[in-house]
Amino acid sequence: MSVRTAVVLAAGEGTRLRPLTRNRPKPMLPAGNRPILEHVLDALVDAGITKLVLVVGYRRDRVQEYVGPSYRDVPVEYVLQEKQLGSGHALLQARDAVDGSFVVVNGDRLIEAGSVHDVAEAYETDDVPAAVAVIERPSVRHYGAVVLRDRDIQQIVEKPDTDEYRLINAGIYAFDTAIFDAIDGTARADGELGLTDTIADLLARERVRGVRTEGLWVDATYPWDLLEVAAEVLARGRVPQPETGDAVWVDPAAAVHDDAVLQGPVVVGPDSEIGPGAVVGPVAAVGRNATVGANATLQRTVLDADTRVAAGSTLVDAVLGQNVHLGPATAIPGGPADVRVETTVFEDQPLGAVVADRTTAAGDVSFEPGALVGPNVEIHAGAHVPGRVAEGAEVVR
Amino acid sequence: MCGIIGCVGRGEDTLSTLVAGLSQLEYRGYDSAGVALGGETVSVAKRAGELSALREALAAEPIAGDLGVGHTRWSTHGPPTDANAHPHEDCSGRVAVVHNGIIENYQAVRDDLATDGHTFESDTDTEVIPHLIEAELDAGADPEAAFRAAIDRVEGSYAVAAVVAGADAVFAARNDSPLVLGIADGATFLASDVPAFREYTDRVVYLDDGEFARLDDEGWTVTDADGARVEKAIETVDWDPEETGKSGYDHYMLKEIHEQPRALRQCLRGRVDELRGQVDLGDLGDLSPTGVQFVAAGTSYHAAMYGALLYRAAGVPAQAFLASEYATSPPPIGDALVVGVSQSGETADTLAALREASHRNARTLAVTNTVGSTAEREADHVLHIRAGPEIGVAATKTFASQLAALNLLRLATAPGSDARDVVTALRDLPGDVQALLDDSTARAVAEEFSDAGAYFFIGRGYHYPVALEGALKMKEISYTHAEGFAAGELKHGPLALVTEDTPVFAVVTGDDDLSTKTVGNVKEVEARDAPVVAVTDGQSEVGRYADHVLELPETHPTAASVLANVQLQLVSYHVARALGRSIDKPRNLAKSVTVE
Repeated sequence: MSVRTAVVLAAGEGTRLRPLTRNRPKPMLPAGNRPILEHVLDALVDAGITKLVLVVGYRRDRVQEYVGPSYRDVPVEYVLQEKQLGSGHALLQARDAVDGSFVVVNGDRLIEAGSVHDVAEAYETDDVPAAVAVIERPSVRHYGAVVLRDRDIQQIVEKPDTDEYRLINAGIYAFDTAIFDAIDGTARADGELGLTDTIADLLARERVRGVRTEGLWVDATYPWDLLEVAAEVLARGRVPQPETGDAVWVDPAAAVHDDAVLQGPVVVGPDSEIGPGAVVGPVAAVGRNATVGANATLQRTVLDADTRVAAGSTLVDAVLGQNVHLGPATAIPGGPADVRVETTVFEDQPLGAVVADRTTAAGDVSFEPGALVGPNVEIHAGAHVPGRVAEGAEVVR
Repeated sequence: MCGIIGCVGRGEDTLSTLVAGLSQLEYRGYDSAGVALGGETVSVAKRAGELSALREALAAEPIAGDLGVGHTRWSTHGPPTDANAHPHEDCSGRVAVVHNGIIENYQAVRDDLATDGHTFESDTDTEVIPHLIEAELDAGADPEAAFRAAIDRVEGSYAVAAVVAGADAVFAARNDSPLVLGIADGATFLASDVPAFREYTDRVVYLDDGEFARLDDEGWTVTDADGARVEKAIETVDWDPEETGKSGYDHYMLKEIHEQPRALRQCLRGRVDELRGQVDLGDLGDLSPTGVQFVAAGTSYHAAMYGALLYRAAGVPAQAFLASEYATSPPPIGDALVVGVSQSGETADTLAALREASHRNARTLAVTNTVGSTAEREADHVLHIRAGPEIGVAATKTFASQLAALNLLRLATAPGSDARDVVTALRDLPGDVQALLDDSTARAVAEEFSDAGAYFFIGRGYHYPVALEGALKMKEISYTHAEGFAAGELKHGPLALVTEDTPVFAVVTGDDDLSTKTVGNVKEVEARDAPVVAVTDGQSEVGRYADHVLELPETHPTAASVLANVQLQLVSYHVARALGRSIDKPRNLAKSVTVE
């Protein structure tokens, strides 16, 4: 394939992932034990991309610091989307950073290198103004449903409320620089410029190729989806650490006590420590510089960077953000639970708790199943944490 | 203070390779730059000013050649002018030389050469070398012999590289100034520092004092002063060349401030065991010093002061000395361990102090960021701080990593009952720094006070070196007067300087006798109507007397200093930015100070 440049949209917060997005955008949330964005960049580099353009905005320091000036020896250029006014607006910011043809992907969804490759190749061979990856999903309600006729896209229906569609827009596109004028000519909806609105405009007058793709395609809509994402990533072995046992990956710079048990699939990141008697897994992702104390038990849990789980704790179906400190004998007993997000109740979710960045719990704290705990919360010893706790709150008992 | 580069085997890309290499060395000094290309003839282009001036000159009047040398200069002899820029030539234009260091006997040599009819174009010490080579060539020597004979005549510190018309080679020599070869397939490089050629190879050979190198189409050879071949080991460096990009930040300094969580993780990697509350630094753990003398300069000196406090708190007598003073007026050493702290490992003053200590049979240890540096090779022991390359002239992440590394050193060599608490605090540091970076209000504070007449910084105990470092950073990049004081010292004189136009930054953490006393000093300042900015974890009541608060996460007292420094780095950065200063390359300063 001759398309060598990729634009990655990584400027949006991803508000439905709150409270985990308090300090970083959705692309920086963990898929397993490293950011979603890193998986996206892997797919692009594996597909033969040699220039990366990252559109950054919300909490951009976190993206820039993590990715740096190059990713796997592929140079990275950053462009700023000052205000997040839609995916089309985001792409427009990259206008001066690209020429010729290029691919565009979302930085917040896991994709396959093969999908990128297929879209780029179809774009080149079919001589169309745009090519879009489509993928079959059991539910299309959160996405743009796509209707294909032969190999062309006939219609895109945003967030349909029926289940009659099977294919969705996978968020991988190939364009050339003509797309920028097309975006400029697209009418704003609610002040935002959506890339799919531009594609809908294109459909009215030109052919847009729909490229059917298969394989990994994972999106987290709500915070607890990160557990499924981790399971998917581990099931496919998409971790950079060496495999030290059956579906057990441990970084060489991690310290796992001889008397700790790692039940695969499980991954332990660099600089992390696992104490004696701890039982970690199945389905556990431990990020960098985390600590799991003696005799702690972690099942179906994501533990992000710099987080500490003290001795004797039990965590089931838990998503912990960065720099969370849980004291001795913390209990997150696991789902299923009804999770309340504003006015909506999601019933029977397999969620123990979501605990956002820098929340601390003293010893012997228990969590109501399905709890969503904001960042910088201080939980006192022996407290029982209710279903929802706002940022910076104190939970006394 | 300067940077040199040379390459052979790059063909038509020789000129672009040299200029690209110079841009990687600009941090070493940047008041002039030049290149010389060799082969059948020698051609030179050089300009005063930043590298862009040289680029423009080369665009207007390109030069060609298959091998060459280049130089970026920071003045020691003579002002920054085109004439004083390197490379320097002989009378006949057959020889071009670049040099980093100081030729101490240049006046005598120059007088001799002038008597023999040589004319000099510049005020530099370097220019004697091409004329010495010319004299040897005229006496019938071949180019390599002429180069060796010329080097034999000069005394002082140097990394020198030369091209001679008719010789398909670059000649180089080292004494007391860094010089490293880069070995690629079909091409060979030399430079003051690895980033200059890191784009082309990660295989390097470090030259030692008194050694000569010849780079030609056949490859490279290293010889000693007598011309005997020296077998050198090829080492591999693991720095990512792209790490020199700004990755979307406006300045390297801001990028490096944000890299501190990563740098701290790297510093601690494999060295701390939180569950056991232990530190493992390998053989260093056997040092068990009965006394410690730190020697360092600039920011590293503030790290050294902090290190001395750590040892004293652990019951080991320890002092920090300015390296330049120690080298010339050394104290009695006894059986103390002498620890040189230097980011580059090439700081001439620190090297001189370490040499003085070695000369008096003291055990020496280098704490440095640069693997393979002179400090490392000359000291008995080394502790790498592993901060990764730092491009901004104002040290930021390397200071944080120095403080972390000195905690490790103290715990490994003088363990105490506080080990578990300190290890826990060190492991929490990356996350704590990240928390601070995510929520810092330093920018707003800086912009409010960016037109202040002077800035004062006060702290006690571990925060005293932080106060000094906060002031140094402010001076370096904002060009505004700034001073750091031990909080208790303010009332003994400096208080007279405090007015409503001089913001005072007070570092206060915890809630103990120390913080209570510092809060008392803050009240003295507040009573004089000076704006007070408290840098605090909020445990004491200092916030009540402050106009602004820069918040720190709560942690162990030794780790709190690292955090407080990050807030002060951000304040300096945003003040300098508001004032439109050249943040990454402040005037008159160079990253690595390789002259005494």
